[in-house]
Amino acid sequence: MATKREYTTEDSSSSAKRPKMENGNGKLDAANNPYLAHWNDDKSNTANGLYDFKRHATTTKQASAAEDGPLNPFTGRSLSNRYMGILKQRRDLPVHKQRDEFLKLYQESQILVFVGETGSGKTTQIPQFVLFDDMPHKSAQMVACTQPRRVAAMSVAQRVAEEMDVELGEEVGYSIRFEDKTGPNTMLKYMTDGMLLREAMHDNNLTRYSTIILDEAHERTLATDILMGLLKEVVLRRKDLKLIIMSATLDATKFQKYFHNAPLLAVPGRTHPVEIFYTPAPERDYVEAALRTVLQIHATEDEGDILLFLTGEEEIEDACRKISLEAQDLVREDAAGPLVVYPLYGTLPPAQQQKIFSPAPPPTRPGGRPGRKCIVSTNIAETSLTIDGIVYVVDPGFSKQKVYNPRIRVESLLVSPISKASAQQRAGRAGRTRPGKCFRLYTESAFKKELIEQTYPEVLRSNLASTVLELKKLGVEDLVHFDLMDPPAPETLMRALEELNYLACLDDEGELTTLGSLASQFPLDPALAVMLIVSPEFYCSNEILSLTALLSVPQVFVRPASNRKRADEMKDLFAHPDGDHLTMLNVYHAFKSEEAQANPKQWCHDHFLSYRALQQADNVRLQLKRIMEREELELMSTSFENKKYYENIRRALVAGFFMQVAKRDGNGKAYMTVKDEQNVLLHPSTVLGQDSEWVVYNEFVLTTKNYIRTVTSVKPEWLLDIAPNYYDVAAFKKGEIKTALQRVATKIQRKEQEKGKR
Amino acid sequence: MADSDEEEDYMNMVFDDAPKQPTHETSLQRAARKRKEGEARARQKSKAEREADAEAAREASLATALPETNKGFKMMAKFGFKQGDTLGKAENARKEPIQVNIKEDRSGIGLESEKKRKLREAWDEAARAAKRSKEEEGDYLEDRKQQQKEKKMERDLDSAQRTAERLSEEEAEEADGPSPEEKPLKHINVLWRIRARRRVEKEHDWRQRRELENSLASRLPTLAQEDEHNDSKVAQGHDVTPFYASLENDLEDEDPELAEFEALPVSERLTKVLVFLREKYKYCLYCGYQYPDAAMEGCPGITEEDHD
Repeated sequence: MATKREYTTEDSSSSAKRPKMENGNGKLDAANNPYLAHWNDDKSNTANGLYDFKRHATTTKQASAAEDGPLNPFTGRSLSNRYMGILKQRRDLPVHKQRDEFLKLYQESQILVFVGETGSGKTTQIPQFVLFDDMPHKSAQMVACTQPRRVAAMSVAQRVAEEMDVELGEEVGYSIRFEDKTGPNTMLKYMTDGMLLREAMHDNNLTRYSTIILDEAHERTLATDILMGLLKEVVLRRKDLKLIIMSATLDATKFQKYFHNAPLLAVPGRTHPVEIFYTPAPERDYVEAALRTVLQIHATEDEGDILLFLTGEEEIEDACRKISLEAQDLVREDAAGPLVVYPLYGTLPPAQQQKIFSPAPPPTRPGGRPGRKCIVSTNIAETSLTIDGIVYVVDPGFSKQKVYNPRIRVESLLVSPISKASAQQRAGRAGRTRPGKCFRLYTESAFKKELIEQTYPEVLRSNLASTVLELKKLGVEDLVHFDLMDPPAPETLMRALEELNYLACLDDEGELTTLGSLASQFPLDPALAVMLIVSPEFYCSNEILSLTALLSVPQVFVRPASNRKRADEMKDLFAHPDGDHLTMLNVYHAFKSEEAQANPKQWCHDHFLSYRALQQADNVRLQLKRIMEREELELMSTSFENKKYYENIRRALVAGFFMQVAKRDGNGKAYMTVKDEQNVLLHPSTVLGQDSEWVVYNEFVLTTKNYIRTVTSVKPEWLLDIAPNYYDVAAFKKGEIKTALQRVATKIQRKEQEKGKR
Repeated sequence: MADSDEEEDYMNMVFDDAPKQPTHETSLQRAARKRKEGEARARQKSKAEREADAEAAREASLATALPETNKGFKMMAKFGFKQGDTLGKAENARKEPIQVNIKEDRSGIGLESEKKRKLREAWDEAARAAKRSKEEEGDYLEDRKQQQKEKKMERDLDSAQRTAERLSEEEAEEADGPSPEEKPLKHINVLWRIRARRRVEKEHDWRQRRELENSLASRLPTLAQEDEHNDSKVAQGHDVTPFYASLENDLEDEDPELAEFEALPVSERLTKVLVFLREKYKYCLYCGYQYPDAAMEGCPGITEEDHD
């Protein structure tokens, strides 16, 4: 707190403008540049420890001297004791030994591929090495370092701010969707890859940055792949821009080849050998086999923690319960020491995620068998999270992976076999602290024959509608020849273009329309963005704004396995007979009521709602509202007393989701999706009570049964009225849906004729 | 139901789309057809049938590429894209979307292939030989088509077997015969005995798993332990493989009739079951209808192609 106060006084004293002294390569007239006002600070100038540094010609020695202090080379304030402590640790990291080598390659070439295993310190250290040589603040630019995950961007920025002895959000900041923690002084910005992509939409050459670091490139997220394609072109236009691709796996040659044979630097991680065991025969039930293996390790192996990979929340929670119960039996029989089991998955609240770092439990009695912790995790623990103390890894060989198929337009998470690369990564987690063991629950020949080499990059497994819109906005005309590292199947692009055309975001020539350009301003799926933009026409933009926010966050309803009945009763309090969208809206309105806001946490707990999700929705709503105001989209509501209140909302829903409509098949429970003609069932979680012949759905979930989730009933007349291009009845395949639509069309015609007669 | 539909059709004036009826259809034939169609429509589909339908529709869509009439295709054509091209500039770019495979159980990696290998080795061999000769011709598309056809046949076979089993059970019930559970496997008609066999196997599995879960032994080592003798492993429940192996042996050694039938190519098995259904129950799978008399008037033939 003390530092903060000190800083604010300093800041206010600097508000008086002073002429700027010539500094380094000062090509710009900084004194007249309002963006560089923060330079006009006498103190920081005299204290600038880097004044004699020559850009792109510095050495490790120089940088080390500057790092040693006593003043912070970037802020001019004296360095804290804590900083000195951290500095010592930092210099022990594997990357530090190769700082010289790194600087040489960085200075020599425009693009550099850097390979460092997890634990090498690359994410925190390399950007700082760059700062000392690139000195982006001297040219009013920044260094960007992208991360695939929001949490990583936040936590790494926090850590690096500490390492540099600065306040987070000042010299070091982060920017993630719906949250920007940077300031005018920011010179190093950690951000999600998606955010950098959005910035590129407004600044096609990314002129704000002097160096861009794409971290965790091996994860091959959609945004990273698109960024690589873009930056490959930008570096040709901007010779002053430097690009570093950082990857954790040794498959770096692919990156090298893609970036015109850029030089490669590899830093070994700190890993120990891991012994790998296979099962003698294929397992009949991988979950059960995993539980057995964990308990076997616990009963027979030496001290050391266990990491078990499973596929999803439900499976993990179930496994945790079973392992705990069985372990208690073992303790009772004195066959093993105490075992604490922690789940780990993306939607787990951060406080609970933190628990995995708590130490293993002590023996039950002095001198007894040592305790152990066991973490049951999704593939988050595969690359992004580093947990020390893991010695045993149990790998059943599955993970949940997103799959998209343009032929039936379904994007779903499916349990699928992992790749060989993934299996190696998992095994590596056992060797972080000391030599470890990895138990693969499949045979060696299955590993060789059945697993694919590399996990498919996300770009091959995603609906590209939103990406296509972004690329169009980025000025990429020819999407067919856009140079992606792994281009998806042509049908994927075809479907995306078609969807955007029906949404009127692209015209028939494939050119961006006004609506499309506007939709690209929102960090949302095109269907959601279009729904939001046209909602004023339905007099319900306030409600659609809330709904859009609610659809952009994790599930708001909580349904704990131990208390399902009560949770369902609570959900019924909010239920709207016309469907789930309206129910979610009821929840949000109740959440914003005075009664709930008195103690929102308790209120959510009592009503089996996720406080975190609702709070997040609130935040998202605020961000989207700002964009709407900026784009001059009017915020309005139909009066609640008006009987069209809910109807208007449902109609606006159709305006965005008319391509996600299903019709009931006969009189049964089954539905059939329009055009794709897939047989689906309503997801059991739906509140839709009455018999609804036509519904819009938010999601098509593929399991052994096909489900549609989050559904609301609509009228077929609206479909023909609001989306006449898509509902061009003559073009429909012959069948029940066509007949039904024809019937509706005739009815409308007749009504209009009658009106005409009158 | 049928009536109301006809009425709607009339109001909508959709005569253009109505399929052209063969001119030689007599009024009696038409009446029979209408009645049959009406009955088929009115019948509520069972849950299993619905699921099978859903899966079939999904598989069919997944196997069909987007047509050139797609609006996106035209936009791509503007930049020189032609059918069969790939995107981007990479050499080995994808032509087809990634397959969607839905995992329906919790079987471990490699189990599926292991099972298949053991159960249908003979048939596999034949298929491999056929495939090899096809590959030599380099006719990839033909090969894909054949695979799909076989998959479809397997599904048909399954539903034909299910129907046969159901009809025979119904018959047995009417005749007050022994209920199928009491019937030893060998007394079940070989044409659908595999279904009963699978049920028995599943039961065994389930029991075995229950035992494993309940016994202390289940918590103890199962990963390869070299020093232990195989038999003692089995005795302790450490390794369940031998148990299953013996079960599979059962199938192959002690039931040569079933093994022989299962070794036949799928098309042959299907034809056998179809013919049986027709002869014994006057039932046609593709009409989905049990005819009142042996003439089966109105049914165009045995195979699915006849019904096109």
